[in-house]
Amino acid sequence: MSLSRRQLIKYLGASAVAGSGLFGFSNQAWSKKSAHVVVVGGGVGGAAFAKYLRIADANIRITMIEPSPKYTFCPGSNEVFNGHETLDNLTFNYDTFKTRFGVNMIQDQAVAIDYDKKRVKLKSGDFVSYDKLVVSTGPDFIYDAVEGYSAELANTDLPHAWKAGPQTAKLKQQIDNMPQGGVFVMSSPDGAYRCPPAPYERASMIAEHLEKVNPTAKVIILDSKNGFTFDKHYWHYWTERHGYTTGDARISWVSEQDGGRAVKLDAKNKIITTASGEKIKADVINIIPPHKASKFAEDSGLTKGERWVPFDAKTFTSKVDPNVFVVGDMVDAPMSKTAYIASNQSKVVAQAILDQLAGREPGTPFITNNCVAIISEEYGMTIADTHRYAGDHFLVQKRISEVTDDPYARRIRAELAKNWQRTFRKDIFS
Amino acid sequence: MKSKNLLTGLALASCLLVPTAFAADPKTDAEITEFNKQFPMPTGKMLGNNCSACHGTLGAEFTEGMPSLAGMDKQEFIEIFTQFRDNKYPTIVMHDVAYVFTDEEIEAMADYFAAQRAEQWPHLNDDGTIKQGRMQGVAK
Repeated sequence: MSLSRRQLIKYLGASAVAGSGLFGFSNQAWSKKSAHVVVVGGGVGGAAFAKYLRIADANIRITMIEPSPKYTFCPGSNEVFNGHETLDNLTFNYDTFKTRFGVNMIQDQAVAIDYDKKRVKLKSGDFVSYDKLVVSTGPDFIYDAVEGYSAELANTDLPHAWKAGPQTAKLKQQIDNMPQGGVFVMSSPDGAYRCPPAPYERASMIAEHLEKVNPTAKVIILDSKNGFTFDKHYWHYWTERHGYTTGDARISWVSEQDGGRAVKLDAKNKIITTASGEKIKADVINIIPPHKASKFAEDSGLTKGERWVPFDAKTFTSKVDPNVFVVGDMVDAPMSKTAYIASNQSKVVAQAILDQLAGREPGTPFITNNCVAIISEEYGMTIADTHRYAGDHFLVQKRISEVTDDPYARRIRAELAKNWQRTFRKDIFS
Repeated sequence: MKSKNLLTGLALASCLLVPTAFAADPKTDAEITEFNKQFPMPTGKMLGNNCSACHGTLGAEFTEGMPSLAGMDKQEFIEIFTQFRDNKYPTIVMHDVAYVFTDEEIEAMADYFAAQRAEQWPHLNDDGTIKQGRMQGVAK
Protein backbone atom coordinates (compact mmCIF):
# COMPACT_ATOMS: atom_id res chain seq x y z
CA MET A 1 0.00 0.00 0.00
CA SER A 2 1.44 3.31 -0.99
CA LEU A 3 0.45 6.46 0.82
CA SER A 4 0.44 9.90 -0.68
CA ARG A 5 2.29 12.68 1.12
CA ARG A 6 -1.05 14.11 2.14
CA GLN A 7 -2.14 10.80 3.66
CA LEU A 8 1.18 10.48 5.43
CA ILE A 9 0.65 13.85 7.03
CA LYS A 10 -2.88 12.93 7.90
CA TYR A 11 -2.01 9.73 9.67
CA LEU A 12 1.43 10.37 11.08
CA GLY A 13 0.97 13.94 12.12
CA ALA A 14 2.51 16.83 10.22
CA SER A 15 5.65 16.75 12.33
CA ALA A 16 6.51 13.33 11.02
CA VAL A 17 6.65 14.75 7.51
CA ALA A 18 9.54 17.16 7.19
CA GLY A 19 9.09 20.70 6.02
CA SER A 20 5.35 20.76 6.03
CA GLY A 21 3.68 24.12 5.92
CA LEU A 22 0.31 22.76 5.00
CA PHE A 23 -1.26 23.26 8.38
CA GLY A 24 0.18 26.67 9.11
CA PHE A 25 2.23 25.73 12.13
CA SER A 26 5.42 24.62 10.44
CA ASN A 27 7.28 27.16 12.57
CA GLN A 28 6.87 24.84 15.51
CA ALA A 29 10.00 22.80 15.15
CA TRP A 30 8.75 19.53 16.50
CA SER A 31 11.23 16.80 16.88
CA LYS A 32 10.48 13.43 15.38
CA LYS A 33 11.24 12.14 18.82
CA SER A 34 8.37 14.09 20.39
CA ALA A 35 5.70 11.84 21.80
CA HIS A 36 2.51 11.53 19.78
CA VAL A 37 -0.65 12.08 21.81
CA VAL A 38 -3.94 11.22 20.15
CA VAL A 39 -7.32 12.32 21.43
CA VAL A 40 -10.55 10.71 20.28
CA GLY A 41 -13.39 13.24 20.44
CA GLY A 42 -13.47 16.99 19.84
CA GLY A 43 -16.08 17.99 22.41
CA VAL A 44 -15.28 19.98 25.52
CA GLY A 45 -13.19 17.17 27.04
CA GLY A 46 -11.07 16.55 23.94
CA ALA A 47 -10.75 20.22 23.05
CA ALA A 48 -9.75 21.28 26.55
CA PHE A 49 -7.23 18.46 26.65
CA ALA A 50 -5.59 19.44 23.35
CA LYS A 51 -5.49 23.12 24.23
CA TYR A 52 -4.11 22.74 27.73
CA LEU A 53 -1.56 20.18 26.60
CA ARG A 54 -0.34 22.60 23.93
CA ILE A 55 -0.15 25.51 26.39
CA ALA A 56 2.03 23.39 28.64
CA ASP A 57 4.22 21.88 25.92
CA ALA A 58 5.18 23.49 22.63
CA ASN A 59 6.77 20.41 21.15
CA ILE A 60 4.49 17.50 21.81
CA ARG A 61 2.63 16.12 18.80
CA ILE A 62 -1.16 16.21 19.16
CA THR A 63 -3.72 14.61 16.86
CA MET A 64 -7.48 14.91 17.34
CA ILE A 65 -9.90 12.45 15.75
CA GLU A 66 -13.38 13.95 15.42
CA PRO A 67 -15.98 13.08 12.77
CA SER A 68 -17.77 16.42 12.83
CA PRO A 69 -16.26 19.60 11.35
CA LYS A 70 -18.03 21.69 13.98
CA TYR A 71 -18.89 21.55 17.65
CA THR A 72 -21.97 23.07 19.30
CA PHE A 73 -21.81 23.77 23.02
CA CYS A 74 -24.54 22.22 25.15
CA PRO A 75 -24.16 24.88 27.89
CA GLY A 76 -26.36 27.75 26.77
CA SER A 77 -28.36 25.67 24.31
CA ASN A 78 -31.46 25.67 26.54
CA GLU A 79 -31.69 29.40 25.97
CA VAL A 80 -32.19 28.79 22.27
CA PHE A 81 -35.74 27.86 23.24
CA ASN A 82 -36.61 31.28 24.66
CA GLY A 83 -34.69 33.12 21.95
CA HIS A 84 -31.92 34.44 24.18
CA GLU A 85 -29.23 32.37 22.49
CA THR A 86 -28.53 31.15 18.96
CA LEU A 87 -26.97 27.92 17.81
CA ASP A 88 -24.62 29.94 15.61
CA ASN A 89 -23.22 31.64 18.68
CA LEU A 90 -22.64 28.26 20.34
CA THR A 91 -21.02 26.61 17.32
CA PHE A 92 -17.27 26.47 16.65
CA ASN A 93 -15.09 24.91 13.98
CA TYR A 94 -11.63 23.50 14.65
CA ASP A 95 -9.56 26.11 12.79
CA THR A 96 -8.10 27.40 16.04
CA PHE A 97 -6.87 23.94 16.89
CA LYS A 98 -5.21 23.51 13.50
CA THR A 99 -3.47 26.87 13.44
CA ARG A 100 -3.11 28.27 16.94
CA PHE A 101 -2.66 25.02 18.84
CA GLY A 102 -0.92 23.02 16.14
CA VAL A 103 -3.25 20.08 16.43
CA ASN A 104 -3.41 17.61 13.56
CA MET A 105 -7.16 17.32 12.96
CA ILE A 106 -8.44 14.11 11.42
CA GLN A 107 -12.07 14.34 10.41
CA ASP A 108 -13.00 10.71 10.74
CA GLN A 109 -14.57 8.39 13.26
CA ALA A 110 -12.52 6.21 15.58
CA VAL A 111 -13.95 2.68 15.60
CA ALA A 112 -11.45 0.54 17.51
CA ILE A 113 -8.29 0.54 19.60
CA ASP A 114 -5.46 -1.90 18.95
CA TYR A 115 -3.87 -1.81 22.40
CA ASP A 116 -0.95 -4.05 21.48
CA LYS A 117 0.10 -2.01 18.47
CA LYS A 118 -0.92 1.25 20.16
CA ARG A 119 -3.05 2.50 17.32
CA VAL A 120 -6.60 3.62 16.69
CA LYS A 121 -8.58 2.27 13.78
CA LEU A 122 -10.68 4.73 11.82
CA LYS A 123 -13.95 4.19 9.98
CA SER A 124 -12.09 4.81 6.73
CA GLY A 125 -10.01 1.73 7.52
CA ASP A 126 -6.79 3.58 8.29
CA PHE A 127 -4.87 3.60 11.56
CA VAL A 128 -3.41 6.34 13.77
CA SER A 129 -0.52 5.35 16.03
CA TYR A 130 -0.16 6.83 19.50
CA ASP A 131 2.21 6.95 22.42
CA LYS A 132 -0.60 8.13 24.70
CA LEU A 133 -4.29 7.98 23.83
CA VAL A 134 -7.07 10.05 25.38
CA VAL A 135 -10.67 8.99 24.80
CA SER A 136 -13.36 11.64 25.31
CA THR A 137 -16.31 10.61 23.20
CA GLY A 138 -19.14 11.69 25.49
CA PRO A 139 -22.07 9.41 26.25
CA ASP A 140 -24.56 7.49 24.14
CA PHE A 141 -28.25 7.14 24.83
CA ILE A 142 -30.40 4.23 25.99
CA TYR A 143 -33.29 4.86 23.63
CA ASP A 144 -35.32 1.80 24.49
CA ALA A 145 -35.75 2.88 28.11
CA VAL A 146 -38.96 4.32 26.68
CA GLU A 147 -40.52 1.63 24.50
CA GLY A 148 -41.11 2.90 21.00
CA TYR A 149 -38.39 5.57 21.08
CA SER A 150 -35.29 5.19 18.90
CA ALA A 151 -32.26 6.95 17.46
CA GLU A 152 -34.12 7.16 14.17
CA LEU A 153 -37.01 9.03 15.78
CA ALA A 154 -34.57 11.31 17.60
CA ASN A 155 -33.00 12.25 14.30
CA THR A 156 -36.33 12.89 12.61
CA ASP A 157 -39.65 13.71 14.29
CA LEU A 158 -38.83 13.45 18.01
CA PRO A 159 -35.49 15.09 18.81
CA HIS A 160 -34.04 14.61 22.28
CA ALA A 161 -31.75 17.60 21.63
CA TRP A 162 -29.44 16.39 24.42
CA LYS A 163 -26.54 16.94 22.08
CA ALA A 164 -26.85 20.52 20.91
CA GLY A 165 -27.14 21.05 17.16
CA PRO A 166 -29.71 20.25 14.48
CA GLN A 167 -31.96 18.47 16.99
CA THR A 168 -32.07 21.63 19.10
CA ALA A 169 -33.20 23.65 16.08
CA LYS A 170 -35.82 21.04 15.21
CA LEU A 171 -37.26 21.00 18.72
CA LYS A 172 -37.33 24.79 18.83
CA GLN A 173 -39.26 24.80 15.56
CA GLN A 174 -41.77 22.28 16.89
CA ILE A 175 -42.36 24.34 20.02
CA ASP A 176 -42.77 27.53 18.01
CA ASN A 177 -45.30 25.81 15.76
CA MET A 178 -47.31 24.36 18.63
CA PRO A 179 -51.02 25.27 18.45
CA GLN A 180 -52.37 27.76 20.97
CA GLY A 181 -53.04 25.93 24.21
CA GLY A 182 -50.89 23.00 23.09
CA VAL A 183 -49.10 20.55 25.36
CA PHE A 184 -45.34 20.03 25.57
CA VAL A 185 -44.27 16.84 27.36
CA MET A 186 -40.73 16.10 28.47
CA SER A 187 -39.41 12.84 29.86
CA SER A 188 -36.52 13.38 32.27
CA PRO A 189 -34.25 10.36 32.86
CA ASP A 190 -32.85 8.64 35.91
CA GLY A 191 -29.24 7.63 36.35
CA ALA A 192 -26.32 9.94 35.63
CA TYR A 193 -26.92 12.17 32.63
CA ARG A 194 -25.48 15.35 31.16
CA CYS A 195 -25.98 18.41 33.35
CA PRO A 196 -28.34 17.34 36.18
CA PRO A 197 -30.48 20.55 36.27
CA ALA A 198 -30.68 20.95 32.48
CA PRO A 199 -34.06 19.24 31.85
CA TYR A 200 -35.69 21.64 34.31
CA GLU A 201 -33.80 24.60 32.92
CA ARG A 202 -35.01 23.64 29.46
CA ALA A 203 -38.62 23.28 30.61
CA SER A 204 -38.33 26.69 32.28
CA MET A 205 -36.94 28.37 29.16
CA ILE A 206 -39.75 26.85 27.11
CA ALA A 207 -42.34 28.03 29.65
CA GLU A 208 -40.86 31.52 29.67
CA HIS A 209 -41.14 31.59 25.88
CA LEU A 210 -44.66 30.14 25.80
CA GLU A 211 -45.82 32.69 28.36
CA LYS A 212 -45.24 35.33 25.70
CA VAL A 213 -46.29 33.62 22.48
CA ASN A 214 -48.64 30.85 23.58
CA PRO A 215 -49.82 31.72 27.09
CA THR A 216 -52.37 28.93 27.46
CA ALA A 217 -49.90 26.20 26.45
CA LYS A 218 -48.72 23.69 29.08
CA VAL A 219 -45.37 22.16 29.91
CA ILE A 220 -45.43 18.74 31.58
CA ILE A 221 -42.28 17.10 32.94
CA LEU A 222 -42.56 13.37 33.44
CA ASP A 223 -39.71 12.38 35.72
CA SER A 224 -38.02 9.07 36.45
CA LYS A 225 -36.66 10.62 39.69
CA ASN A 226 -38.10 12.07 42.88
CA GLY A 227 -35.86 15.12 43.06
CA PHE A 228 -33.17 16.94 41.14
CA THR A 229 -30.39 19.51 41.44
CA PHE A 230 -31.81 22.95 42.34
CA ASP A 231 -35.30 21.45 42.69
CA LYS A 232 -36.32 23.79 45.53
CA HIS A 233 -35.34 26.79 43.39
CA TYR A 234 -37.37 25.53 40.47
CA TRP A 235 -40.47 24.68 42.51
CA HIS A 236 -40.30 28.06 44.25
CA TYR A 237 -40.00 30.10 41.07
CA TRP A 238 -42.45 27.99 39.07
CA THR A 239 -45.02 28.60 41.81
CA GLU A 240 -44.42 32.33 41.63
CA ARG A 241 -44.29 32.66 37.85
CA HIS A 242 -46.16 29.73 36.35
CA GLY A 243 -48.82 28.73 38.88
CA TYR A 244 -46.99 25.52 39.72
CA THR A 245 -49.20 22.99 41.59
CA THR A 246 -52.37 24.97 40.78
CA GLY A 247 -55.07 23.68 38.46
CA ASP A 248 -53.93 26.09 35.76
CA ALA A 249 -50.18 25.53 36.06
CA ARG A 250 -48.07 26.37 33.02
CA ILE A 251 -45.44 23.88 34.30
CA SER A 252 -46.24 20.57 35.92
CA TRP A 253 -43.71 18.11 37.29
CA VAL A 254 -44.67 14.51 37.96
CA SER A 255 -42.19 12.66 40.16
CA GLU A 256 -41.30 9.00 39.79
CA GLN A 257 -43.24 8.12 42.94
CA ASP A 258 -46.31 9.85 41.52
CA GLY A 259 -46.09 7.70 38.43
CA GLY A 260 -44.03 10.10 36.32
CA ARG A 261 -41.76 7.58 34.68
CA ALA A 262 -42.43 7.48 30.93
CA VAL A 263 -42.42 3.88 29.75
CA LYS A 264 -43.96 3.86 26.30
CA LEU A 265 -44.21 6.11 23.29
CA ASP A 266 -46.77 6.07 20.52
CA ALA A 267 -44.79 8.23 18.14
CA LYS A 268 -47.42 8.34 15.42
CA ASN A 269 -50.20 9.62 17.67
CA LYS A 270 -47.85 11.47 20.04
CA ILE A 271 -49.06 9.67 23.14
CA ILE A 272 -46.81 8.88 26.11
CA THR A 273 -47.75 6.19 28.60
CA THR A 274 -46.43 6.45 32.16
CA ALA A 275 -45.55 3.74 34.65
CA SER A 276 -48.91 4.30 36.35
CA GLY A 277 -50.67 3.59 33.08
CA GLU A 278 -51.74 7.14 32.32
CA LYS A 279 -51.74 8.13 28.66
CA ILE A 280 -50.81 11.71 27.84
CA LYS A 281 -51.50 13.20 24.44
CA ALA A 282 -48.96 15.83 23.50
CA ASP A 283 -48.34 18.28 20.68
CA VAL A 284 -44.58 18.18 21.17
CA ILE A 285 -42.66 15.38 22.89
CA ASN A 286 -39.09 15.66 24.16
CA ILE A 287 -37.76 12.37 25.50
CA ILE A 288 -34.36 12.74 27.14
CA PRO A 289 -33.07 9.16 27.18
CA PRO A 290 -30.95 7.73 29.99
CA HIS A 291 -27.23 7.75 29.21
CA LYS A 292 -24.43 5.22 29.09
CA ALA A 293 -20.84 5.24 27.90
CA SER A 294 -20.37 5.65 24.15
CA LYS A 295 -20.51 2.79 21.70
CA PHE A 296 -16.82 3.37 21.01
CA ALA A 297 -16.06 2.92 24.71
CA GLU A 298 -18.07 -0.30 24.67
CA ASP A 299 -16.64 -1.62 21.40
CA SER A 300 -13.06 -0.88 22.43
CA GLY A 301 -13.54 -2.67 25.74
CA LEU A 302 -13.00 0.47 27.86
CA THR A 303 -16.28 -0.11 29.70
CA LYS A 304 -15.23 -3.66 30.66
CA GLY A 305 -18.88 -4.61 30.20
CA GLU A 306 -20.17 -1.93 32.58
CA ARG A 307 -22.45 1.02 31.85
CA TRP A 308 -19.64 3.58 32.38
CA VAL A 309 -15.89 3.53 31.90
CA PRO A 310 -13.81 2.56 34.97
CA PHE A 311 -10.65 4.60 35.58
CA ASP A 312 -7.78 5.31 37.93
CA ALA A 313 -8.70 8.21 40.20
CA LYS A 314 -5.29 9.84 40.18
CA THR A 315 -4.56 10.08 36.47
CA PHE A 316 -7.82 9.07 34.73
CA THR A 317 -5.95 6.19 33.17
CA SER A 318 -8.17 3.46 31.77
CA LYS A 319 -8.32 0.23 33.75
CA VAL A 320 -7.74 -1.54 30.44
CA ASP A 321 -4.40 -0.06 29.36
CA PRO A 322 -1.99 2.34 31.13
CA ASN A 323 -1.36 4.32 27.95
CA VAL A 324 -5.05 5.07 27.45
CA PHE A 325 -6.77 7.86 29.39
CA VAL A 326 -10.51 8.48 29.69
CA VAL A 327 -12.36 11.72 30.45
CA GLY A 328 -15.76 13.32 30.36
CA ASP A 329 -19.34 12.15 30.45
CA MET A 330 -18.54 8.52 29.62
CA VAL A 331 -16.38 8.02 32.74
CA ASP A 332 -17.63 6.31 35.89
CA ALA A 333 -16.65 9.24 38.10
CA PRO A 334 -18.58 10.25 41.24
CA MET A 335 -18.97 13.67 39.68
CA SER A 336 -21.76 15.42 37.83
CA LYS A 337 -21.61 14.92 34.09
CA THR A 338 -20.90 18.50 33.09
CA ALA A 339 -18.71 20.18 30.49
CA TYR A 340 -17.04 22.03 33.36
CA ILE A 341 -16.02 18.73 34.96
CA ALA A 342 -14.91 17.27 31.62
CA SER A 343 -12.62 20.24 31.00
CA ASN A 344 -11.04 19.93 34.44
CA GLN A 345 -10.57 16.19 34.11
CA SER A 346 -8.81 16.90 30.82
CA LYS A 347 -6.38 19.28 32.51
CA VAL A 348 -5.55 16.53 35.02
CA VAL A 349 -4.87 14.13 32.15
CA ALA A 350 -2.76 16.66 30.23
CA GLN A 351 -0.56 17.15 33.28
CA ALA A 352 -0.41 13.41 34.03
CA ILE A 353 0.73 12.64 30.49
CA LEU A 354 3.41 15.35 30.60
CA ASP A 355 4.59 14.02 33.96
CA GLN A 356 4.72 10.43 32.73
CA LEU A 357 6.55 11.34 29.53
CA ALA A 358 9.11 13.24 31.62
CA GLY A 359 9.48 10.33 34.01
CA ARG A 360 7.85 12.16 36.94
CA GLU A 361 5.21 10.84 39.29
CA PRO A 362 1.94 12.60 38.39
CA GLY A 363 0.76 15.12 40.99
CA THR A 364 -2.40 15.11 43.06
CA PRO A 365 -5.49 15.88 40.97
CA PHE A 366 -8.03 18.48 42.03
CA ILE A 367 -11.35 18.89 40.22
CA THR A 368 -14.12 21.39 40.81
CA ASN A 369 -17.51 21.90 39.24
CA ASN A 370 -18.63 25.48 39.79
CA CYS A 371 -21.73 25.66 37.66
CA VAL A 372 -24.59 28.03 37.10
CA ALA A 373 -28.14 27.26 35.98
CA ILE A 374 -31.15 29.48 35.37
CA ILE A 375 -34.92 29.27 35.74
CA SER A 376 -35.58 32.44 33.82
CA GLU A 377 -33.65 35.39 32.54
CA GLU A 378 -34.14 36.89 35.98
CA TYR A 379 -33.34 33.93 38.25
CA GLY A 380 -30.04 32.06 38.38
CA MET A 381 -28.41 29.79 40.95
CA THR A 382 -24.99 28.32 41.55
CA ILE A 383 -23.48 25.03 42.65
CA ALA A 384 -19.93 24.50 43.86
CA ASP A 385 -18.61 20.92 43.94
CA THR A 386 -15.05 20.10 44.94
CA HIS A 387 -13.58 16.66 44.27
CA ARG A 388 -10.45 15.87 46.21
CA TYR A 389 -8.30 12.89 45.40
CA ALA A 390 -8.64 10.29 48.13
CA GLY A 391 -6.51 7.41 46.88
CA ASP A 392 -9.02 5.16 45.18
CA HIS A 393 -11.94 7.58 45.20
CA PHE A 394 -12.79 11.26 45.63
CA LEU A 395 -13.95 13.25 48.62
CA VAL A 396 -16.81 15.45 47.51
CA GLN A 397 -17.77 18.77 49.09
CA LYS A 398 -20.86 20.46 47.71
CA ARG A 399 -22.67 23.75 48.20
CA ILE A 400 -25.74 25.13 46.47
CA SER A 401 -26.95 28.74 46.59
CA GLU A 402 -30.05 29.26 48.71
CA VAL A 403 -33.57 29.81 47.43
CA THR A 404 -34.12 33.55 47.46
CA ASP A 405 -36.73 36.21 46.86
CA ASP A 406 -34.07 38.90 46.62
CA PRO A 407 -34.30 40.17 43.03
CA TYR A 408 -30.64 41.19 42.99
CA ALA A 409 -29.39 37.80 44.16
CA ARG A 410 -31.56 36.13 41.55
CA ARG A 411 -30.64 38.41 38.70
CA ILE A 412 -26.92 38.62 39.32
CA ARG A 413 -26.65 34.83 39.21
CA ALA A 414 -28.56 34.76 35.93
CA GLU A 415 -26.09 37.31 34.55
CA LEU A 416 -23.27 35.22 35.99
CA ALA A 417 -24.61 32.27 34.01
CA LYS A 418 -24.37 34.17 30.73
CA ASN A 419 -20.94 35.46 31.58
CA TRP A 420 -19.80 31.97 32.53
CA GLN A 421 -21.09 30.47 29.27
CA ARG A 422 -19.24 33.03 27.20
CA THR A 423 -16.01 32.79 29.16
CA PHE A 424 -16.17 29.01 29.19
CA ARG A 425 -16.58 28.82 25.41
CA LYS A 426 -13.48 30.98 25.04
CA ASP A 427 -11.61 28.88 27.59
CA ILE A 428 -12.22 25.76 25.54
CA PHE A 429 -12.13 26.93 21.91
CA SER A 430 -9.89 30.02 21.79
CA MET B 1 -14.85 -5.47 52.60
CA LYS B 2 -12.63 -2.71 53.86
CA SER B 3 -14.41 0.46 54.88
CA LYS B 4 -12.50 2.45 52.28
CA ASN B 5 -13.73 0.21 49.51
CA LEU B 6 -17.21 0.39 50.91
CA LEU B 7 -17.05 4.18 50.77
CA THR B 8 -16.00 4.03 47.14
CA GLY B 9 -18.74 1.59 46.35
CA LEU B 10 -21.31 3.84 47.96
CA ALA B 11 -19.97 6.88 46.16
CA LEU B 12 -20.13 5.17 42.79
CA ALA B 13 -23.51 3.62 43.47
CA SER B 14 -25.10 6.90 44.49
CA CYS B 15 -23.65 8.52 41.39
CA LEU B 16 -25.29 5.94 39.20
CA LEU B 17 -28.63 6.42 40.87
CA VAL B 18 -28.95 10.17 41.37
CA PRO B 19 -25.86 12.40 41.15
CA THR B 20 -27.53 15.04 43.29
CA ALA B 21 -27.99 12.54 46.10
CA PHE B 22 -24.23 12.30 46.55
CA ALA B 23 -24.09 14.58 49.56
CA ALA B 24 -20.91 16.04 50.98
CA ASP B 25 -18.69 13.54 52.68
CA PRO B 26 -19.76 13.19 56.32
CA LYS B 27 -16.33 14.28 57.58
CA THR B 28 -15.93 17.79 59.04
CA ASP B 29 -13.73 20.43 57.38
CA ALA B 30 -11.02 19.76 59.95
CA GLU B 31 -11.18 16.02 59.33
CA ILE B 32 -11.09 16.55 55.59
CA THR B 33 -8.01 18.76 55.95
CA GLU B 34 -6.38 16.07 58.06
CA PHE B 35 -7.38 13.38 55.56
CA ASN B 36 -5.87 15.35 52.67
CA LYS B 37 -2.49 15.49 54.35
CA GLN B 38 -1.82 11.90 53.30
CA PHE B 39 -1.48 13.09 49.69
CA PRO B 40 0.88 15.74 48.27
CA MET B 41 -0.87 19.09 47.93
CA PRO B 42 -2.09 19.78 44.40
CA THR B 43 0.15 22.32 42.64
CA GLY B 44 -0.87 25.96 42.23
CA LYS B 45 -1.32 25.23 38.54
CA MET B 46 -3.59 22.24 39.22
CA LEU B 47 -5.69 24.30 41.63
CA GLY B 48 -5.64 27.49 39.56
CA ASN B 49 -6.58 25.77 36.31
CA ASN B 50 -9.96 25.04 37.87
CA CYS B 51 -10.70 28.78 37.77
CA SER B 52 -10.44 29.14 33.99
CA ALA B 53 -14.06 28.41 33.11
CA CYS B 54 -15.10 31.67 34.80
CA HIS B 55 -11.89 33.69 34.98
CA GLY B 56 -10.43 32.66 31.62
CA THR B 57 -7.49 30.60 30.49
CA LEU B 58 -4.58 31.27 32.89
CA GLY B 59 -6.93 33.68 34.67
CA ALA B 60 -6.58 36.05 31.73
CA GLU B 61 -10.17 36.90 30.83
CA PHE B 62 -10.92 40.58 31.25
CA THR B 63 -14.70 40.99 31.29
CA GLU B 64 -17.31 43.04 33.08
CA GLY B 65 -18.61 40.06 35.01
CA MET B 66 -15.79 38.25 36.76
CA PRO B 67 -12.43 39.73 37.62
CA SER B 68 -9.27 38.60 35.90
CA LEU B 69 -6.77 36.79 38.11
CA ALA B 70 -3.73 36.97 35.83
CA GLY B 71 -1.09 39.22 37.26
CA MET B 72 -2.99 39.79 40.49
CA ASP B 73 -0.89 40.90 43.42
CA LYS B 74 -0.11 37.89 45.59
CA GLN B 75 -1.02 39.43 48.94
CA GLU B 76 -4.22 40.89 47.53
CA PHE B 77 -5.23 37.50 46.17
CA ILE B 78 -4.54 35.84 49.51
CA GLU B 79 -6.42 38.49 51.44
CA ILE B 80 -9.58 38.51 49.35
CA PHE B 81 -9.64 34.73 48.87
CA THR B 82 -9.26 34.17 52.60
CA GLN B 83 -12.11 36.58 53.25
CA PHE B 84 -14.26 34.66 50.77
CA ARG B 85 -13.35 31.43 52.52
CA ASP B 86 -14.16 32.81 55.96
CA ASN B 87 -17.43 34.30 54.68
CA LYS B 88 -16.48 37.78 55.83
CA TYR B 89 -18.95 39.38 53.47
CA PRO B 90 -21.71 38.18 51.14
CA THR B 91 -20.73 37.29 47.58
CA ILE B 92 -22.45 35.82 44.56
CA VAL B 93 -20.63 32.52 44.57
CA MET B 94 -17.02 32.84 45.73
CA HIS B 95 -17.73 32.06 49.38
CA ASP B 96 -19.19 28.74 48.22
CA VAL B 97 -16.10 28.09 46.10
CA ALA B 98 -13.42 29.23 48.54
CA TYR B 99 -14.42 27.45 51.74
CA VAL B 100 -12.64 24.22 50.81
CA PHE B 101 -9.13 25.65 50.40
CA THR B 102 -6.29 25.60 52.95
CA ASP B 103 -3.94 28.54 53.58
CA GLU B 104 -1.17 26.72 51.71
CA GLU B 105 -3.41 26.09 48.71
CA ILE B 106 -4.52 29.72 48.60
CA GLU B 107 -0.91 30.85 48.62
CA ALA B 108 -0.02 28.40 45.82
CA MET B 109 -2.84 29.79 43.68
CA ALA B 110 -1.76 33.35 44.52
CA ASP B 111 1.76 32.56 43.32
CA TYR B 112 0.45 30.95 40.18
CA PHE B 113 -1.79 33.83 39.15
CA ALA B 114 0.72 36.52 40.17
CA ALA B 115 3.13 34.94 37.68
CA GLN B 116 0.70 35.09 34.74
CA ARG B 117 0.78 38.08 32.41
CA ALA B 118 -2.10 40.51 32.92
CA GLU B 119 -3.06 40.43 29.28
CA GLN B 120 -6.24 39.22 27.58
CA TRP B 121 -6.11 35.58 26.45
CA PRO B 122 -5.10 34.33 23.90
CA HIS B 123 -1.42 35.17 24.14
CA LEU B 124 -0.21 34.82 20.59
CA ASN B 125 3.10 34.82 18.79
CA ASP B 126 3.30 37.02 15.68
CA ASP B 127 2.36 34.05 13.51
CA GLY B 128 -0.79 33.30 15.48
CA THR B 129 0.52 30.34 17.45
CA ILE B 130 0.43 30.18 21.23
CA LYS B 131 3.24 31.64 23.29
CA GLN B 132 4.91 29.31 25.73
CA GLY B 133 7.93 31.28 26.90
CA ARG B 134 6.69 33.02 30.01
CA MET B 135 4.12 30.46 30.97
CA GLN B 136 4.35 29.86 34.65
CA GLY B 137 3.32 26.97 36.79
CA VAL B 138 4.30 24.38 34.21
CA ALA B 139 6.03 21.55 35.98
CA LYS B 140 9.76 21.71 35.41
